[in-house]
Amino acid sequence: MHEASIAQSIVQTVLREAEKQNAVRVESVEIEIGDLTFLGIDQVAFWVETGFAETIAEKAKVVFKQIKGIIRCTECGYEGNIKIEEDPAYHLNLPTFACPKCGSTHIEITQGREALIRRIKILKN
Amino acid sequence: MKTVKPAEGETFDIELEEDLLRQNQELARKNHELLEKYNVHAVDILGSIGSGKTTIVQQLVKNLNGIYRMAAVAGDLTTTIDANRIQKKGASVIQANTGKECHLDANLVKKALAELDLEKLDLLFIENVGNLICPGEFPLGAHQRIVVVSTTEGPYMIVKHPYILMDASIIVINKIDLAEAMDVDLNQLKKDALNIKPELKVVFTNGRTGEGIKELIEALNLPRR
Repeated sequence: MHEASIAQSIVQTVLREAEKQNAVRVESVEIEIGDLTFLGIDQVAFWVETGFAETIAEKAKVVFKQIKGIIRCTECGYEGNIKIEEDPAYHLNLPTFACPKCGSTHIEITQGREALIRRIKILKN
Repeated sequence: MKTVKPAEGETFDIELEEDLLRQNQELARKNHELLEKYNVHAVDILGSIGSGKTTIVQQLVKNLNGIYRMAAVAGDLTTTIDANRIQKKGASVIQANTGKECHLDANLVKKALAELDLEKLDLLFIENVGNLICPGEFPLGAHQRIVVVSTTEGPYMIVKHPYILMDASIIVINKIDLAEAMDVDLNQLKKDALNIKPELKVVFTNGRTGEGIKELIEALNLPRR
């Protein structure tokens, strides 16, 4: 349920910025959400749409970009996708937080935990 | 911030790059700094509703009483039931009621820290709201994280919530006395956890009798006092 509070801050941030820029309409909003966050994009999208209703962002095209989880191994230097075992039959999606190359657990997550508003497009008079 | 004007001069692209989780992360960092300043070691405890988080904290407080000066922050939607239970074992407790929110956040913990006399503390347990999803998004500033799962949640709790283990250092598998009745294979649960995060320490407990609490204390590897 924390998607609602994240969506609320998206709505507030976008409208505040639009107001600051004297916008008459928000044309589009680009949002990036990492695979390693606990956010469901569909749910965030629903709440953002609800929040934009009857505002100058009502007709905005809201685009979500999914950001892959990337790790870096501090032992062998591997940098790339996190190993995820998928089994569509059970809707299983099992990550392993270790280096897929050398097995080391000394890893850093370098990408995939972000939830950000990348840019907005506004219309001015 | 960059503003780029297109040729028509009507629409504007604004690079916002506004991180929606940063505010909490920033507050968590400040909480961590404050705890460090007073030499207080904080442990964040996550688990689903009824997994035994409070019982585990009670047992820890009972076993560490006299060695560490302890306090706990008990996160819940409402009520002070859990706080009262922990207090009875010898720790001062701040109840952090979230109202309707599904998780504690760094701001609520900051308020709780302001209520505690940090100078008179060595150890702080922060028990999150019972939930295996939302709290994962909100670091609080603790030094380490324990995830508690129990056999009564069935055999698939870990594989269904793998990402909650991302920031944990210990997984407690609780209610081991009920494993047989629940037809849950304890070794499979351990295997599932280690498959997701091989560096995890796995501890089996029975919160009610205190079985496994000594092993948990060892796994915590608390700073010496």
